[in-house]
Amino acid sequence: MAAAAAEWDSGSEAAPTGEWPPATASPVKGKAALPEESDAGASASGSSEAKVDDGNIQEAESSLREGLSLNYEEARALLGRLEYQRGNVEAALRVFDGIDLQAAIQRFQPSVSEKPLSKRSNKLRSDSSNSGSQHAASLVLEAIYLKSMSLQKLGKAMEAAKQCKSVLDAVESIFQCGIPGVMVEQKLQETVSKSVELLPELWKQAGAYQEALASYRRALLSQWNLDDECCTRIQKRFAVFLLYGGVEASPPSLASQTEGSFVPRNNLEEAILLLMILLKKWFLGKTHWDPSVMEHLTFALSVCGQTSVLAKHLEEVLPGIYPRTERWYSLALCYFAASHNEAALNLLKRSLNKNESPNDIMALLLAAKICSSSYLLASEGVDYARRAVKDVESSDGHLKSVALHFLGSCLAKKSRVASSDHQRSLLQTEALKSLNEAFSLDRHNPELIYDMGIEYAEQRNLHAALKYAKEFIDATGGSVSKGWRLLSLVLSAQQRYSEAEVVTDAALDETAKWEQGPLLRIRAKLKVAQSLPMEAVEAYRTLLALVQAQRKAYGSIKNGAEEDEDKVSEFEVWQGLANLYSSLSYWRDAEICLQKAKALKTYSATTLHAEGNIHEVREKIQDALAAYFNALSTEIEHVPSKVSIGALLAKKGPKYLPVARCFLSDALRLEPTNRMAWFYLGKVHKHDGRLVDAADCFQAASMLEDSDPVESFRSL
Amino acid sequence: MPNDVPPQPIHSAKDALDALAGILGGALPGSIATADDPADTLLNDPDVASAVTGRLRGAGSGAGNDTLCRWLYDAFRANVPELQLAVLRFVPTLAGVYMCRAVSRKPLAGFEAVLLALYAHAVAQRGGAGEAETVSLPNLANPSPYHDAKAKPAELDVAVLSPPLEPHGTMRATRRARIVGAVLELYHGKLSRMPLSSKMDFCEFCVAWAGTHNKADDDDKPRLPPATDAVTGAEKWRRVPLPWELFQPVVRIVAHCLLGPSRSDELKAQAARAAECLYWRATETMDAPALLATRSLMRLSQMVEEPIPEPSFSGAIENMAELEAMRANILNTKN
Repeated sequence: MAAAAAEWDSGSEAAPTGEWPPATASPVKGKAALPEESDAGASASGSSEAKVDDGNIQEAESSLREGLSLNYEEARALLGRLEYQRGNVEAALRVFDGIDLQAAIQRFQPSVSEKPLSKRSNKLRSDSSNSGSQHAASLVLEAIYLKSMSLQKLGKAMEAAKQCKSVLDAVESIFQCGIPGVMVEQKLQETVSKSVELLPELWKQAGAYQEALASYRRALLSQWNLDDECCTRIQKRFAVFLLYGGVEASPPSLASQTEGSFVPRNNLEEAILLLMILLKKWFLGKTHWDPSVMEHLTFALSVCGQTSVLAKHLEEVLPGIYPRTERWYSLALCYFAASHNEAALNLLKRSLNKNESPNDIMALLLAAKICSSSYLLASEGVDYARRAVKDVESSDGHLKSVALHFLGSCLAKKSRVASSDHQRSLLQTEALKSLNEAFSLDRHNPELIYDMGIEYAEQRNLHAALKYAKEFIDATGGSVSKGWRLLSLVLSAQQRYSEAEVVTDAALDETAKWEQGPLLRIRAKLKVAQSLPMEAVEAYRTLLALVQAQRKAYGSIKNGAEEDEDKVSEFEVWQGLANLYSSLSYWRDAEICLQKAKALKTYSATTLHAEGNIHEVREKIQDALAAYFNALSTEIEHVPSKVSIGALLAKKGPKYLPVARCFLSDALRLEPTNRMAWFYLGKVHKHDGRLVDAADCFQAASMLEDSDPVESFRSL
Repeated sequence: MPNDVPPQPIHSAKDALDALAGILGGALPGSIATADDPADTLLNDPDVASAVTGRLRGAGSGAGNDTLCRWLYDAFRANVPELQLAVLRFVPTLAGVYMCRAVSRKPLAGFEAVLLALYAHAVAQRGGAGEAETVSLPNLANPSPYHDAKAKPAELDVAVLSPPLEPHGTMRATRRARIVGAVLELYHGKLSRMPLSSKMDFCEFCVAWAGTHNKADDDDKPRLPPATDAVTGAEKWRRVPLPWELFQPVVRIVAHCLLGPSRSDELKAQAARAAECLYWRATETMDAPALLATRSLMRLSQMVEEPIPEPSFSGAIENMAELEAMRANILNTKN
């Protein structure tokens, strides 16, 4: 065979060895030479397989001799097939080249008199007169299909595709009126199915993507009587092609669709549709399970953020396909991505049960991550993160760092709701230890760097906080807004207001107009802190203009903007202005601002507290107290109100001191860095005669005075 | 063509090729200037590609006075579709180098001008107002061209594939990922026209961007030779922030390289590596959609593609019968 192949490569004209007669080398219809050709092919193909087919070749020869002039195409088809079967692709091609498909089609075509009544609707219409020629047609069509396969094997994809397409065109024109289902010859159906399946792949190989697309649709939308498995394969390949082909496809245009039907508008929609159909086929038992279908669908749906839809499909997968812990983990990812944290955590809890797979690192990490976002779950998260740290392989620095990072975050979160000072400081120390350990394993994770900055800031280690805030900006190239804000707040806590302003201005430069809100708010507060009231008012005015413009632009669309944490609400602006005016004793202005704020948010602890403040300054103590208590009843943990109440009561005389102390301690439990709370608590102690305690409190207050940011770090 | 011609307006592929030859000078073989199909040469010629990418990767590229950036800008703005393709071809290198250097906050006005021009084009392509690209999720209760259903039409979920594009005249750091992401979406739309080497470049930068080499290399993967780095004196491409707005288009392009119609094993291997690096990157924050998408890619890269069925031949005996039948057929029809 190798010799033969070399022969064909070297050129068709000269064949000095005589193994392959020159007459057959050209596709001229040299009938006499054919028998020898097949003979030679057999001898050249090697001893191993030649023996089996000897009988066939003899038969072929004689059949050719007998039916010489009439069945030229069939004879070629048969011989070519034998060659192909033996693996002599080039030889097969030579033989197939002699077949004139067009002539054959015309011969097989039904006469004009028996034109079909309904053309497309049913290919399988009765037509008994064709049964004899069906066999012959089948043979020729198979030959062209094999020719296409031969060409493909020789790397001539484009030619192969053209040949393959001609098979399908021929089938359509020969059997215009269809063949009754029971009468379709098995061989013919097989050739048709295989050609239908082959064609798009050939176009793809040839780089003709639009043709590939068209032929996929032709395969799936015309009636080829494909069996389920074949149709499934085509649908899957088409979905893959749509999903990853990088081809801009025009959507299928289908006039004949019924109302309410889904017609995909683009590649992704069409791919998702096909993948869903494939899954459904499997549910109905029409095809075998193919794991790649679910992976493709996972990719498609997660790329467009539709993980809750994906979760539905994952849930529908029958048991026995995925190990249940794996399914739970995948579902948890889906739910977490769709912000259904509780559902995700419940699934993970099941999976991490000691009877399932309690040491699954990824599940542990995900559980810890989910818990790290909630005060209530932080404690549970610490447990998951600890297990992850313990179980992760010591060589895997990357995952170990991730686990330690989540452990630090959960500990930090937990420390915020600690019930005692002692516990809090223990947790804080531990949190920093974990974060530092995580950082030593991976110095390039910006989220980790940021969390360290925040934690140091919360613990008022401003020097370290500053270092990490700067490092975060370096690691992200200043592309993350919260980094700028952290740096600015840390500087403000260090009383370096002008530097904080420089940072804020730099950040404003790097931020598009619409997203400048939080930065403008910080700027206004920086001005307030520097006692620059006119500039502060100006800054608030800019902010107000932005916020109102945003409301106008987005208000009409209502695209779920309420969850956008990077937006400043108009309410906040009025509230800020009210505070500013009241600090300047511009009562009327302050009250107007408060009215505006109230109009936007009727029951707000902040507004009520500000009102109380105004009353207090005007010495209307009862009104002030009433306002503070109202604020507390709208928000039970409103720290400023607790502090104000404590302060007011402390002034009222010795009898009120225990109550005042109670309020202040409570405030400090919630916000241990509240300077004013420490100050008034110190006063309470002093009135009560506990001078040492008082001194401690005053010291705490004075230390904190130098470390108050203009805005709480928790607002980040 | 003399080397120091002043830049001339570009109106055609020929102009562009001449201008490029002027900029690159000796870096291009002389035969390029006389190419029959200049647009095709710009898009596919390996010499042009390596000369341009070499320059883009070179030290000091991308500054405001970078003539090559100027050329990319002019060529793209010439509004010739073939030329635009030729410019998009360099998006992987352009975006790759830019993102790595932008983190270090170097002045890169040249790169930025090109990227902003591409971005503006993307905005215009989305109906001028940069509307969001949405996907209606099919509901199988509705019939479709590919299946029948009788139930009454159900509501469709609409997913946002790419959020609206706001016009941006300058590159602000906080919008950088979005702008580059949108440019990558533009590149994604033309992937089928892009040459292999362009996609190889992209996957290479993905690995650098993810910045998790160590993890991926532990698994004794055959290391792909960093051929291009060696030439340019190996500037270390560093990891970059990958928010979802950048991660998503990146992962879609990687998916194409991995599972698209290309038959290059080299590209698939490089893409598989990129997918793995991105997966480990996603574990850093346990970013769920990113984890799901990249995990699927990793799994798919290990699955064997189902081959196209071979023709089936029934055994020798059946062939005999068929031959007999045929002979009979021949004899019958003859008379």
